[in-house]
Amino acid sequence: MSAARDAEIGRLWRSRPRSRFARASVVAMLGLVAWAWIGGGLVPSELLSARRLANLERFLGEVTPYPLQGRTFDLGVALRWAGDLLVERGLAAAATTLAISVAAIVLAAIVGAVLGAPAARTIASPEPWLPDPRRPAAPVAFAWRGLVTGSRAVMIFLRAIPEYLWAFLFLAMLGPTAWPAVLALGLHNAGILGKLGAEAAENASRREPQALRGLGASRAQVVAIGLLPMTLPRLLLYFFYRWETCVREATVLGMLGIVSLGYWIQDARARNHYDEMVFLILLGAAIVLIGDVVSAVARRVVRRAS
Amino acid sequence: MGDERPLPIGARGAVILAIVAAGAAAVPWLGLTPGSLVPSDGGLTLVGEFLVRAASPALTSEADPVPEGTPPLLWRALAAARTTVVFAAAAMSLALVLGLVLGFASSSAWWADDLRGRGRLRRVVAPVLTWSSRTLMVLMRSVHELLWAVLFLAALGRSPTTAVIAIAIPYGGTLAKVFSEMIDEAPRDAAHALRSSGASPAAVFVFGLLPRALPDMIAYSLYRFECALRSAAILGFFGFPTLGYYLKLSFENLHYGEVWTYLYTLFALIVVVDWWSGALRRRFLA
Repeated sequence: MSAARDAEIGRLWRSRPRSRFARASVVAMLGLVAWAWIGGGLVPSELLSARRLANLERFLGEVTPYPLQGRTFDLGVALRWAGDLLVERGLAAAATTLAISVAAIVLAAIVGAVLGAPAARTIASPEPWLPDPRRPAAPVAFAWRGLVTGSRAVMIFLRAIPEYLWAFLFLAMLGPTAWPAVLALGLHNAGILGKLGAEAAENASRREPQALRGLGASRAQVVAIGLLPMTLPRLLLYFFYRWETCVREATVLGMLGIVSLGYWIQDARARNHYDEMVFLILLGAAIVLIGDVVSAVARRVVRRAS
Repeated sequence: MGDERPLPIGARGAVILAIVAAGAAAVPWLGLTPGSLVPSDGGLTLVGEFLVRAASPALTSEADPVPEGTPPLLWRALAAARTTVVFAAAAMSLALVLGLVLGFASSSAWWADDLRGRGRLRRVVAPVLTWSSRTLMVLMRSVHELLWAVLFLAALGRSPTTAVIAIAIPYGGTLAKVFSEMIDEAPRDAAHALRSSGASPAAVFVFGLLPRALPDMIAYSLYRFECALRSAAILGFFGFPTLGYYLKLSFENLHYGEVWTYLYTLFALIVVVDWWSGALRRRFLA
């Protein structure tokens, strides 16, 4: 019994995926982490200094809703306080946060489609679907390759810049409307959705596009009739995954001055009203949860339909 | 396809219609008019000046006169990059510990009947542990790292460690969720073989289940490290000495060349990690 077990363990251990590069990578990662903790100037024990603990105690006292501070707990008072805060600004800011995330992800899908299609080699090459005996003219092949590389480079740049930074730059240019938040989230996610979409198009089965092409369909027709319906479920899954992150980020972008939840969080922080600040952060968490649930339901519908 | 559809629009069509409707409703609520998209004259020159400097990032400090005792610009950029990497790496190490512990506790494969024997204790402990760890994960994940940072700033004051913890909490929650899904979806053939040869549950898990999920878990962790670099850079907006701090400062002083220097530094960090995870994926997952 135990011999068989040991043999089985030994067999599995020997058949594990192995690679020198992977091993070196793990060592490098461990080294990086050790260096960060030892040589990076991080002193965790400093968090427990007397000054910080006093600060923490004061903070915990101020987190209690203002009308309840220094009094016995009264649920009615607490609820009235929370209700006033919601009506005054919480609900409107929450709706704005959701609206920003929706507008941004729709923009990201549109821009991502425009950038992602020419980045897929199965769409953007001289003859992507049929074996073509004639070699394409060098300038033609070069132009297609340039299109692929160019759109990929644009997408890398869009997603390498954090959305918070994009918003900061747009805010300086456009002033405090909702546009900076929508553009920032939209462009960053266009880079991500475009990349994922291009990969999905490259990994899709070639049979249907080939058959359509063989019947004489144009490039646009093959993409619209053959490729798009096949990759659509996957694209929709990515769309909803990224929308979840958009909801999170839309909350935070308000801290730059756009009137989403983050704006009021920052405002409460500036006035040292920590009770309001924590309440609004929790409201933000609730919105993120709502977004997650809606997204999960939508993804299930998409999965079942495909 | 579509032989007996009850409606002309399928479920997929309904989802797309809902997306379009939500998008159409969001635009008037936010007051997104094309007119407000046009920058003012001042904004337009600012855009122009800023974009022009993309081609010529600053190599030396643009302040005039340079305040005494300031280190050279490139040195500042390197130091900021170092802090960014330190924060990201330290946060990821904490997040990985959190993610592994919570991810294992909440994965249903760990408790599956066919992989472990039946026991009365397990009947009670498993659901409690699974659901409490799932709730914890959701709470950690649903608050953004910048909001965790704001909370810690208010509660404890500024310290590098608070930045690390602020990133580690939501990242730990995300890693736990993704890890538990990866473990649950990993092929169970090896685990079943081990189980039937009488191995203990721990051995089944470590030798049968984990190796199947490991490549995906490593690839995903590297991707999250890339995200952590971005998050660490952005924490600089709250005064931590990462790239975001200097970037914001230079932007406010209208030193656009310096802004691009810092942007390209962040870009370089991300490209390196991206290349690393790509190379690992190709060799490891092939």
